[in-house]
Amino acid sequence: MKRQALFNVGVLLLVLLFILSACGSQKTTVDNDGGTIVIALSREIPTLDPANYRMRECENVIRNIFDGLVTKTHDGKIVPEIAESWEAISDTEWEFKIRKGVTFHNGDPLTADDVVFSFERIIIEGGMEGQTSPRKGLMGPTSGVYKVDDYTVRFTMDEPNPTFLHGVVHQQIIPKAYFEEVGPEGFLKQPIGAGPFKFVSGTLNDQIVLERYDDYYGGSPDIPPVGPPALKRVIFKVIPEPSSAIAALKSGEVNIISGVPADMVPNLEADPNVIVKTVQGTRVYMLEMNNKMPPFDNPKVRQAMNYAIDMDGILEAIYGGNATRLPGALMPYSFGANPNLKPYEYNPEKAKQLLKEAGVTKLQVVIDTEPKRQNVALAMAAMLQEIGIDAQVRNWEWGVLESEIKKGTRQMYMTEWGDSWLDPVGFLNPKFRTNDRANWSHYSNERVDELLTRAERIIDSKIREEIYHEVEEILYEEAPIVFGYTLMEVEASTANVENWQPSMDGRQNMHRVRITN
Amino acid sequence: MPLYSFYLASDESREYRGGFMKGIKILERLLATIPVILGIAVIVFLFMRLTPGDPVDIMMGREGMVTEAEIEALREEFNLNEPLHVQLFIFFKGLFSGDLGNSITRGVPVIQLIKDTLPATIELAIGALLFALVIALPIGIISAVKQDSIFDRIAMAGSFLGISMPGFWLGIVLIIVFSVNLGWLPSQGRLSYLVYLERITGFHVIDAIVTGNIPALLNALKHLLLPSITLGASMAAIIARVMRSSMLEVLKQDYVMLARSKGLSKWLVVLRHCLKNAMMPTITVVGMQVGVLLGGNMIVESVFGWPGLGRLVVDAIFNRDYPLVQGVVMFYAFTFVMANFFVDVIYTYINPKIEM
Repeated sequence: MKRQALFNVGVLLLVLLFILSACGSQKTTVDNDGGTIVIALSREIPTLDPANYRMRECENVIRNIFDGLVTKTHDGKIVPEIAESWEAISDTEWEFKIRKGVTFHNGDPLTADDVVFSFERIIIEGGMEGQTSPRKGLMGPTSGVYKVDDYTVRFTMDEPNPTFLHGVVHQQIIPKAYFEEVGPEGFLKQPIGAGPFKFVSGTLNDQIVLERYDDYYGGSPDIPPVGPPALKRVIFKVIPEPSSAIAALKSGEVNIISGVPADMVPNLEADPNVIVKTVQGTRVYMLEMNNKMPPFDNPKVRQAMNYAIDMDGILEAIYGGNATRLPGALMPYSFGANPNLKPYEYNPEKAKQLLKEAGVTKLQVVIDTEPKRQNVALAMAAMLQEIGIDAQVRNWEWGVLESEIKKGTRQMYMTEWGDSWLDPVGFLNPKFRTNDRANWSHYSNERVDELLTRAERIIDSKIREEIYHEVEEILYEEAPIVFGYTLMEVEASTANVENWQPSMDGRQNMHRVRITN
Repeated sequence: MPLYSFYLASDESREYRGGFMKGIKILERLLATIPVILGIAVIVFLFMRLTPGDPVDIMMGREGMVTEAEIEALREEFNLNEPLHVQLFIFFKGLFSGDLGNSITRGVPVIQLIKDTLPATIELAIGALLFALVIALPIGIISAVKQDSIFDRIAMAGSFLGISMPGFWLGIVLIIVFSVNLGWLPSQGRLSYLVYLERITGFHVIDAIVTGNIPALLNALKHLLLPSITLGASMAAIIARVMRSSMLEVLKQDYVMLARSKGLSKWLVVLRHCLKNAMMPTITVVGMQVGVLLGGNMIVESVFGWPGLGRLVVDAIFNRDYPLVQGVVMFYAFTFVMANFFVDVIYTYINPKIEM
């Protein structure tokens, strides 16, 4: 009987072994047809409707199925895509010539009607089957879009809009006739665009399978090579856990991962089957102070904080070469950045002096942060302690922290803000105009408000630039925040991925990527 | 004799009355679950709204241009500007007509999202349960029969490890060993992208069997293996320990001694006579653990990119997607209450001494 039990266990193990051996792991293979690439998505995406999302990961997928009038090179230059050319007819009117011979995945030619239809869903209030598109804000004061002839469309706006083209980059064209035929739900089931890959199958929370569109017009002539995609298939696979994504890359289950944590870079670089690539990021990370709460209502105290924190030292220690310190509020390569600003020097004596002048003798602060930036916050707190401030760090979930910050109950907090347009309209306005959407420091300065509102509606880039230089100077002096840093974005691929370049705004367009054995 | 017959009659009628009363009691219990579920609905509704954080703010992200009007329109659309009691009224109105509302971030009916993700979660739970039983029952039995042997000691040490290992860690270790180093098993998702499988029930294994799709079946099974082991490990450990101790208990009983002295072999006694009796506590534990399997799989689903209900609700909580969280939690509550109810009912039938 003892044998019987052992026998049972043995059978069990054999079954397990059989299952194990029956399955080799899935490695991506290359057939003559161009092969398949698998890209890890860090989160589930909500939709494939180009008018109804606000999430960057979503744009990654959508951008491979749908093309826009214009697009950006990986280093941020705006170039034509479906549009052949464009011109500003006046300060409030833009005209686009549409490329001929562009077709949707069902073979229908793309004409002005499709462009008008796509943009009306976005810019008209309630234009998305009764709802308002969450992408409307990207188009600023754009109020109308008209067909001039079959291959010409004209946009009109209520006020001049200097960042109009930036907004157009983020909108994609859908086929009017097909959409009206199948309705919004049918469209979501089988979305059709004019992009390099067509949607084949998949669910948004698991994996999305795209296949090459053989009649693709070739994409932007300014980003060679022009032509149909080299890859046969593109798979987007949802892998929310970063360490799982790295493991999947190492096992060859996925080919490209993004958002690699800085501390994993050495590990990946040591792997001969992995290539790590970095690109200058466009998110700003900063330590904000509550300008309404004493003692931070005193500019001297805020300056003291800027002097007390050795930002260069912290960045070097934590991020090595992968961080860039900002001299002022804007990223140095952003439009309108003031080239004359020098970052606050690290000078604890001066900080103490300023605190003394402000009459601050005893100060207790809590630096609020999300867990992912806790190490930076801890280093900052240690430096504040060195000048005699009782500084501590507290971890939060962002949703909770944001609402506390907005209520004005917190003192100092680490925040981030993305500005992929590299234009102050999307950064200084929400962050430093009185009561604006992301003015978490509760900063208020009439002159700054006036300048920012004016620059939002001026086309002449020379004048805009001067205005922003002045704003940056004021901000530098008044120091509503401890000026922060920006990080390199790290992506990694398996060694067999070619012609792949991470882009500044994080988009992953697979049109020009190749895969070899 | 008359006395005896009186007792008999009374016993019969009591039994009859008892059956009838039992039906009434069951109905009572069933009705009593309704206020429980509604109460949970109210609590979830309030807790979600009392948690700081704004769904529209989070949806718009921390970047770029958004107009005030756009934010207003979105808030309007999801009734976020209405006072709390009006929102609650709207929620309940939908609830009674079977409508849990639309997800804020996904714009799809909540019911649809639950329907889409539930099979994945149940499939994983069943996989974990099977793994746990297949591993734990033999180990528990053998450990008891060979108490204090090397096998027993190793098994119990192993089960201690199983209980103390966090699922997150175990999952990553399994991925590193079986996917990265050995390359035997996939680490992410439910099915490879080139494998075609028609969706009938949403359970990949069942769909593959029904359609006779052997490649898809093998593919689905190998995707299921690592997550099932990860989710089932702690359960296996618990079951093994419970099985062992209840088996030890039973082995000390007189009838076991009798059976052995009759000359029956040890294993025959164990398998034929002891196992059934020793199973009772184990079944109770398994019943309790099933709830854990359904509710506690969020981490495992994240580690293995498993598109199930647990991941859906975690995502929804971070996004403050009120209708989605409400819907999923209501669903969990309903499942738990119903499971409890059925366990109670089954108990009373198995053991009439227990009353409702």
